[in-house]
Amino acid sequence: MKDLINRFFGRGQKASKEDAKQRLKFLLIHDQVDLTPGQLDQMKEEILEVISRYVEVEADESTRFVLEKDEGQVALVSSIPVRRVVQRAKAS
Amino acid sequence: MSECIVVTSGKGGVGKTTTTANLGVALALLGKRVVVVDADIGLRNLDVILGLENRIVYDLVHVIEGECRIKQALIRDKRAEGLFLLPAAQTRDKNAVTPDQMRELVAKLKETHDIILVDCPAGIEQGFKNAVAGADRAVIVTTPEVSAIRDADRIIGMVEAAELPEPQLIINRFRPAMVEAGDMMNKEDILEILAIPLLGVVPDHEDIIVSANRGVPVVFDEASIVGEAFRRVARRVTGETDVPELDFEQNNGIWGTLMRWMGLGPAREVAR
Repeated sequence: MKDLINRFFGRGQKASKEDAKQRLKFLLIHDQVDLTPGQLDQMKEEILEVISRYVEVEADESTRFVLEKDEGQVALVSSIPVRRVVQRAKAS
Repeated sequence: MSECIVVTSGKGGVGKTTTTANLGVALALLGKRVVVVDADIGLRNLDVILGLENRIVYDLVHVIEGECRIKQALIRDKRAEGLFLLPAAQTRDKNAVTPDQMRELVAKLKETHDIILVDCPAGIEQGFKNAVAGADRAVIVTTPEVSAIRDADRIIGMVEAAELPEPQLIINRFRPAMVEAGDMMNKEDILEILAIPLLGVVPDHEDIIVSANRGVPVVFDEASIVGEAFRRVARRVTGETDVPELDFEQNNGIWGTLMRWMGLGPAREVAR
């Protein structure tokens, strides 16, 4: 009920505990591998640079580059949409 | 003239980091060029309270070890013009930095900023020594509890031993209803024991928890009474002497809560 009233007056938006949980999970994964989100971003830029020497990639919102935790193991998961292969000359 | 202020308490968990974050934002909103420095190496948290954790690439230890320039490590807070964060390292320990290195770092930050706010780690060892090394003065955060006040007293002594001027006090987590009922020490009780000047009293409030959940310091919330408390403390930090005390009473009870929901009922000011 209180939640509803909060929403009505535009103060609550979604419950802030969801924000807290998401941010915390994210932080713990990054702490575990000792790589800040900022460094991950930098790595993404560098990797995209290398990949784009071989294939034409689309670096937009559909590019995924995240650390995920699965059964205690942290994995770097990335999904980079490829438009087409760049000509060989450019690759060498 | 630029100055460096260390926010310290001795005891952990009294709200040093929250205080540093909110004062930093409030001072920037007053037009100051501010750097908040997280000196809690190994247990970085100021970034999370400010909601800037996603933007860290370099930290204080990188700067000190010469792996990057200061400018590369400073994170600009886009919500408050003039505010920057220098994050702590998360995987090193307090011995990665010496007081001399901190002094040098603070001196450099002063060249480009008006106020350097240092968030001191809990305890009285190396981390404390590093945090006070470059400071021109200290702000002590305490809560109305026996343990916190005892540690504050110890820290006041250490601040004086470090040859800093008399520190100023912030009383945090204040609960007016409990004071009214005689179950919590009031402002006068605490000042009688610690005998240092008061910068302000900050009420214990749910807003603090919500703002920490979201990574949005409560001073950004115009309607929050805690935000208002921090805004007034910030004005006093800049040397303003006629900032009225905040009256907490009006915001208690159903009516106050209802008014706040509607974004009405700003805190009433009473003369000191």
